[in-house]
Amino acid sequence: MKQSSIKTRFTYGFLRTLKRLPKTRAKSSSFSPEEISKRCRIIKLATDASMASAVGPRRAWSRALIRRVRSQRRQRQRQWLVMRRTRRGERKKGGKEVGGGGQTDSLRKLVPGGETMELCTLLGETAHYIKCLTTQVQVMRNIVDLFSN
Amino acid sequence: MEPISVTDLRSASCGENNVEIGVESFQVGEEIGVESLQLGEEIQRLMAPPPPETASSFTALLELPPETAMELLHSPENDETAPKLAGEAHRRLLSPNFTPTFPSDAALLERASRFSVFAVEKNLIGDSHRVKQEPVDSESNPNCSSDPNNNQKSTKRKEREKKGKGSAKKSKNVTNEDGEKLPYVHVRARRGQATDSHSLAERARREKINARMKLLQDLVPGCDKISGTALVLDEIINHVQYLQRQVELLSMRLAAVNPRIDFNLDSLLAAEDKSTETGNSIINSYGTLTDFISRFGEEKTTPALSLHITHYLATTLRLIQHLCSQISSKWSSEDGLKIH
Repeated sequence: MKQSSIKTRFTYGFLRTLKRLPKTRAKSSSFSPEEISKRCRIIKLATDASMASAVGPRRAWSRALIRRVRSQRRQRQRQWLVMRRTRRGERKKGGKEVGGGGQTDSLRKLVPGGETMELCTLLGETAHYIKCLTTQVQVMRNIVDLFSN
Repeated sequence: MEPISVTDLRSASCGENNVEIGVESFQVGEEIGVESLQLGEEIQRLMAPPPPETASSFTALLELPPETAMELLHSPENDETAPKLAGEAHRRLLSPNFTPTFPSDAALLERASRFSVFAVEKNLIGDSHRVKQEPVDSESNPNCSSDPNNNQKSTKRKEREKKGKGSAKKSKNVTNEDGEKLPYVHVRARRGQATDSHSLAERARREKINARMKLLQDLVPGCDKISGTALVLDEIINHVQYLQRQVELLSMRLAAVNPRIDFNLDSLLAAEDKSTETGNSIINSYGTLTDFISRFGEEKTTPALSLHITHYLATTLRLIQHLCSQISSKWSSEDGLKIH
């Protein structure tokens, strides 16, 4: 790897997971709607997981995303307990809100892990999340174009 | 399928532990005021650029080298000798760290001495006094600063403000040191603003938030022209939603494209079903399109919103094209088989 930026790390991880995807056999399985929706879900999971692992545990939203992915796959109680502990701890501070209306609430719902942050950390995480999402979209678009042409 | 490797798992869990520990220490630190250390650096970084621009602020005067400050302040100098010396001595006693020596004016010095006495003994009363004095100064000052002819008045008022603010800052530092023996926040009180620790911390926080908002404005396309926090936040939320839906659409396309590679002549049975399934995806995207368009109708046209809409249109059109090509290829193969 020439330059290990987030983009390259994400690309490598994503392609690896795509390769590991169970290759659909012929017959009718490729085009049944359930199969397609299952594949769609798997691919979405793969993008989120590879994005989060490419970013690493440095960012709060990537940690939250990794947690969510793992809980989706395994559904273990201890992760939920960890979330509850951190939620109780951070809520005590009580982040004051600048934005009027329900904007900060909707932003918290959008950004993974944004429920338990103060406003200024939320804004920082949103900035990094937007950057990573744009790279993700770029890479996926390139992959799709490569596959379809 | 294991999308996440074991090393990532371990490192992420370590990160989580660190986060928890960090969160707890963060809490404790905020109560004591240690967090203000980190805040102080950021605030210094934030505060350093703006003061030199506004020459009329207290902080700008402090930023200037002592000689030019002296020049500025000495220009409308009047003649006072004895009270000057007394004032100087008094000032020197109180401020051992102050290197620039301010010029003298009898009334100013008396006021400064009064303020400093209040500050050392009773912080609260001194604060209230200063708070009362400062709005008067700030009100009168904007009138003067616009008029360059009244140099004398403006510089004298600046001096008075500086004295008040200087003692205010000193008092805050003094009380902190007596109380807790911890490093204090290096925040400068600006002109016409309250100077108790709570409002200073709040102001620092607000400045941090404003800096982050500016960063976000640069990131989101089309947010530069919008003014006002609420609208900018709306745009940011729109952008994040748009990006997430793009990821969904692209993953759908990828799921549709991937089996095409393994496409076989045998898979003819579920061709129609496939079209309906991805037809649902089209319907979903149309749903988002319609609610976008309804919003478009309600609010005034923002350039970012129109950008979003065009992007959506483009992606859905591409999806439709893709599906049509697939369906047509399947039907042609079907017909070919039927003929044979």
